[in-house]
Amino acid sequence: MNIPSLTFLDFQPVLPALLLAVGGIVLLLTEVFQSAATINRAYQSMVALAFSAVAGAVAAATTLEPAREVFLGFGVSDPFSGAVTVLVCVGLGLSVLVSAGFLRHRNAERGEFYALLLFAGAGMSLLAMSNEFITLFINLEVMSVSTYALSAWLRRGTRPSEAGFKYFILGAFSAAILVYGASLLYGATGTTKLSELAGLLPAAVASNPGLTYLGAGLVAVGLAFKVAAVPFHMWTPDVYEGAPTPVSALMSAGVKATAFASLVRVFLPFAQDLGPNHAQLMTYAFAALALLTMVVGNLMALPQRNVKRMLAYSSVAHAGYLLLGVAALFARPTGGEGPLAVTPLLAGAEGAARQQTLQAILFYLLAYTVTSLGSFGALAALERREDEPRGTAWDLEKFAGLSQRKPGWALAMAAMMLSLGGIPPTVGFMGKLFIFRAAVDAGLVWLAVAGVLASAAGVYYYLRVVVYMYMRPSQDGVTVPERQWTTELALVLSTAAVVLLGVAPGTLSAWLGKASVLFSQ
Amino acid sequence: MSFFDSHLLHAVIFLPLLFAALVALLPAAEKGQIRVATLVAMLVDGVLGLLAYLKFDPAGPEFQLEHRASWIDEFGISFHTGVDGLAASLLLLTVFLGPLVVMASWTYVDERVKEFHLALLVLQSAMLGALCALDIIVFYVFFEASLIPMYLLVGVWGSEERQMAAMKFFLYTLVGSLLMLVAILGLYFVVQPAGGRSFDYPTVYNGLLSATGEVSRCVATGCDASTLSPLAAALKAWGPWMFLAFALAFAVKVPLFPVHTWLPDAHVQAPVAGSMILAGVMLKLGTFGFWRFAIPLFPAAAQQYRTPIALLAVVGIVYGALMCLAQRDIKKLIAYSSVSHLGYCVLGMFAYTVEGATGSAYQMLNHGVSTGALFLLFGMLYERRHTRLMADYGGIARVMPLFTAFFVVVTFSSIAVPGTNGFVGEFLVLLGSWKSALPLTFSVLAATGVILGAAYMLWMVQKVFFGEVTLRENQGLKDMGGREIAAALPFLALIVVMGLVPQPFLDRLNPSSERFVARAALGDGASGVSEQQVMMPVMPLAGQPTAAAPVPSRTNKALAGLQLLRPGAVPPQVQP
Repeated sequence: MNIPSLTFLDFQPVLPALLLAVGGIVLLLTEVFQSAATINRAYQSMVALAFSAVAGAVAAATTLEPAREVFLGFGVSDPFSGAVTVLVCVGLGLSVLVSAGFLRHRNAERGEFYALLLFAGAGMSLLAMSNEFITLFINLEVMSVSTYALSAWLRRGTRPSEAGFKYFILGAFSAAILVYGASLLYGATGTTKLSELAGLLPAAVASNPGLTYLGAGLVAVGLAFKVAAVPFHMWTPDVYEGAPTPVSALMSAGVKATAFASLVRVFLPFAQDLGPNHAQLMTYAFAALALLTMVVGNLMALPQRNVKRMLAYSSVAHAGYLLLGVAALFARPTGGEGPLAVTPLLAGAEGAARQQTLQAILFYLLAYTVTSLGSFGALAALERREDEPRGTAWDLEKFAGLSQRKPGWALAMAAMMLSLGGIPPTVGFMGKLFIFRAAVDAGLVWLAVAGVLASAAGVYYYLRVVVYMYMRPSQDGVTVPERQWTTELALVLSTAAVVLLGVAPGTLSAWLGKASVLFSQ
Repeated sequence: MSFFDSHLLHAVIFLPLLFAALVALLPAAEKGQIRVATLVAMLVDGVLGLLAYLKFDPAGPEFQLEHRASWIDEFGISFHTGVDGLAASLLLLTVFLGPLVVMASWTYVDERVKEFHLALLVLQSAMLGALCALDIIVFYVFFEASLIPMYLLVGVWGSEERQMAAMKFFLYTLVGSLLMLVAILGLYFVVQPAGGRSFDYPTVYNGLLSATGEVSRCVATGCDASTLSPLAAALKAWGPWMFLAFALAFAVKVPLFPVHTWLPDAHVQAPVAGSMILAGVMLKLGTFGFWRFAIPLFPAAAQQYRTPIALLAVVGIVYGALMCLAQRDIKKLIAYSSVSHLGYCVLGMFAYTVEGATGSAYQMLNHGVSTGALFLLFGMLYERRHTRLMADYGGIARVMPLFTAFFVVVTFSSIAVPGTNGFVGEFLVLLGSWKSALPLTFSVLAATGVILGAAYMLWMVQKVFFGEVTLRENQGLKDMGGREIAAALPFLALIVVMGLVPQPFLDRLNPSSERFVARAALGDGASGVSEQQVMMPVMPLAGQPTAAAPVPSRTNKALAGLQLLRPGAVPPQVQP
């Protein structure tokens, strides 16, 4: 048997994921030794936080190393995967902080919860590095199975089980579609490695177009389920609403970010190597998906009076803006004249433009991660256990007069809403500026116009929350849950990030620009 | 330039924000301290703003007190600030209104005092930033950021229908400006300056110049688009769309008929401070945007849409005045009078004559002063009676003689009686539009607006102030107190000074309007304005080589000869 020789160089890039997994195991083991008499779980969230922070720091320190293949080409370590891992760790850390207070309030804090969060994080980090369909599938499942379990964590009541079940069925379905698509591609090309796939595709398209197109299409659909792109978004509102709020936050941030990372990783070589016609086709396909997602997401969010559902639809809408970036990414390699490109692109300018588009996507993902975590965090701070069975825990009315009762929370939530709406000086504006800039650069001007109009509609429902917080009197007898310092810390951190990155995005966006390098480029 | 000069505008912009941080630390119960701290902030900012205004040398280069710091280098965004004559004048107006707004709300606002003053201070910073920005993205950021505090001012401290009005205000403005954002991005990619892509306003302007000239000549002679250079071809294809996106954003803000419908609602519902700032400064950001961005960047497209926009301005003048005649609500009347008055600003600008442009700029200042004063004075009345209906007043002159005197003087300013500031502005606008290439009907119709204006204002004054005291509630009204007089007196002084001695103010506006007219005339291929004449000085980014763009000199020698209203001077006119 041919035993592959793996060295430290193979393991070093997966160190963040290993750290997260070790953290999960530590939590699982120590949970076993808790006895009913001396029960103390305060350490658990801190352990989870520490492991995510260390993993994030390790990932950040090694992000800018040159891209290379690891594990015989089944994975790649490139700056892009490093940046996604950092992003995942930021999301994990914030959602651990929000979870601690949330679970304590419900008496549901267990080591397994944090362990599942960390395992999901490990899956996400590895997914961002996967460069082969089977590896990609396994890591996708590591991430997904953990999130299925997490979304049904609060077992009592109908909503969590409905959410978990729905997520599981649809998730399994989408994974099956993805695997089927990958198998068709394997049939057409004879390989599952993305690095080899790209070279074999032109021949496969020529000899077996049906199989190749169907395979690629199904892989795209499988990933579109994970990013919640319309029309594959049906599960999003119910699952987000039913899952524990910190888990919804992680789903909207981490799961989405990594799904976008694999979307880019799988499809960019297609656009690069199949010639301008196919790149054009992919641009149109993703542009259509983006348009549909932006419009439907925003329109569906408009009538929601349940803030959690509104945030779910808003996360669909934000997937649309990100898809706009993805479409722009594929549009570049046509090398031709965008309607606004006055002079023909210089040699190398193409690559620079693509790098800037990737940077825009990464920046937007980061902006959305902190904003989404912050808004779900404020929601988690506010929701009361008693209201959950009746489904009124997330009603807009709960925000009425919040600025009087809890000025700090109201301020944080207002900053998040403005950032989601893309109003300066918040990070959401900078994210939108970068994404729309990339879209205009790629010649997708009309799509950018549709995007800004959709986001103007979005501002209506985000501002409605601000209206309730600042302009409506609070209802009589409404109490808010007691303060949890961990949740408040998460709110402070995300609010600071939203404002500071909105005012001075320079350093971070420059770093992300350097990190916007894929192995396949 | 000294360190003090180059950072003076930063101080003016960010001082209110700094004080906002201070006010945020004060306990919410200390209402008096909060009010005093805010007033001090506004007064100090006023002194700095006045200093900036006085330091502005009319004979000097176009942009003064300039500073450019790096912000987001990789995308060509820099924190570039500086003022031209118009911006300096509007800056003075803004810092002038600041302390008066605080004084006007001294007793008017008694709930959530801390948040109210925070919103005022943040708003002040945002508006000053938008006026001083010389980078398009920086302008956009401040322009948009000013929406949030104003939205809160209307929505939290407004009257009954405040939430609807605040939302309407926000969404109207936002839709317009988001389309402008796409146009800004398009512009960024169309222009390829030598030093790399940039959002820097002078760099973008100079980068477009040669193509602009080409396009205007092409439009004038009806040439074949295929002979144009790539940049000019792109500008010809996309310029009109970009201009329309810019124009929509600013037309909503001005507000130009038919996108004015948010204004009456916002004004009626806003608290007195909100109305004063809205009328005084925020609407000017719209006219300022036309002046600074929409017209100079796309003169060829502006030329194409010149008559329709001027027509909308005239319709606004007449329609606003007619709506005023039909109002029973005093605040709504003042709001519609704003639509009418700002129609003059737009008409004067689109006349493309130096008189028209200067009149338009002067009218911006006038409207800020006179409408600001009207809202302030009516706020005092509203505080006493809590009704906006004319029918609820009558004979107020008998119980509040001093107040009536103030109100009547401000009314005279608003209807442009000679000797007040309003006269100078409206006269110049009408003169300018008369001399311009616009149809004569426009000037005639606009002139009827002056007559209608006198009718509705005097009619309102008569109903509210003269005659017998008809209602018992009005008999015991107290006349103005010391604080109220102190808040209203500066307005009165400015009305008289700007009416009798307009020259110091006009001196600072003239160079700006000459440059504006020359730049606008570039859109007409037959005007004979050369691109070299209207080039802007570019400030290099600190610490970077001066490779941005060729700059002839910091002063436009070619324009130095053109002086307004001096015998023998021939203003550049646009002939069709």
